[in-house]
Amino acid sequence: MKNQLKVLRAMRNWSQADLGEHLDVSRQAVNAIETGKYDPSLPLAFKISRLFDLPIEQIFDDEFEGAVDV
Amino acid sequence: MFNTDENAGRNALRILGMILCGFGIIMLLGAIMGFLSVHMAEGGGPLNMSDYAIVAALISVNLMLAFAIWRLLQQMKRSDQKVPQREKVYNRFMVGSFLFGGVTGLIFALTGSFDANETNLFASGAMSPTLAIIMSVAIGVIMPAVTFYWHKNVVDEQEEAAYRFGALIAMYAFWFIAPVWWFLWRGGMLPNVNGIVLYFMTLSVALIVWFWKKYR
Repeated sequence: MKNQLKVLRAMRNWSQADLGEHLDVSRQAVNAIETGKYDPSLPLAFKISRLFDLPIEQIFDDEFEGAVDV
Repeated sequence: MFNTDENAGRNALRILGMILCGFGIIMLLGAIMGFLSVHMAEGGGPLNMSDYAIVAALISVNLMLAFAIWRLLQQMKRSDQKVPQREKVYNRFMVGSFLFGGVTGLIFALTGSFDANETNLFASGAMSPTLAIIMSVAIGVIMPAVTFYWHKNVVDEQEEAAYRFGALIAMYAFWFIAPVWWFLWRGGMLPNVNGIVLYFMTLSVALIVWFWKKYR
């Protein structure tokens, strides 16, 4: 899944280690999420959302463009 | 600070390099022990110059491999200014486990506590009750407890996912390899199915997939 994590991290001049420290995950985890190789769990996505004070959908993009039927 | 992360991406290769160097050290120590055992079996006595040269060469290669591990470790440390707390605990746990396993194996090897045949993992020969109990307690009691702690407190969710995927692929590997081996044995083309070989094949698949998913 595409995401803005690397950009948001750069805006704060944080290393992957810094972000890993804030999220209590390893640098490999941060790298895997940034490069779209791993999609975080919902609890971790909420943690990221709170850390950057942004809604989840502004950080993660599932590239869905249609409308949801209800 | 931001750009130092690109260097951290090579850590998978560094870890792989350290593991290979570690195996090299263990094999070379085995070669030295084997060489000295043959010398003793042939009557012992002082080593001649060529014997000294062989042992010195093996020790030199071992020292070079140890130096390579140290250099790779230093490069890993330099690849980023700091390491998250969870990763520090992870690294200490890994280094501690390797040291404990390595030192224990080395003590057994150097003291000649057990016969080479009974410590051979792929052999099915008789084993002394002492070693059988030590191995059973290590694999059946200590390892599960350490593994439980490892998964509950040390690994993060990305690595947990890597473990799950590795376990899934290993399960499929077992499902397919075991019956194929069994059929080929019945057809007279392979020796009888060996449970321990199957166990190590399954374990190897799980570890390779885990490594790829965690560090790719």
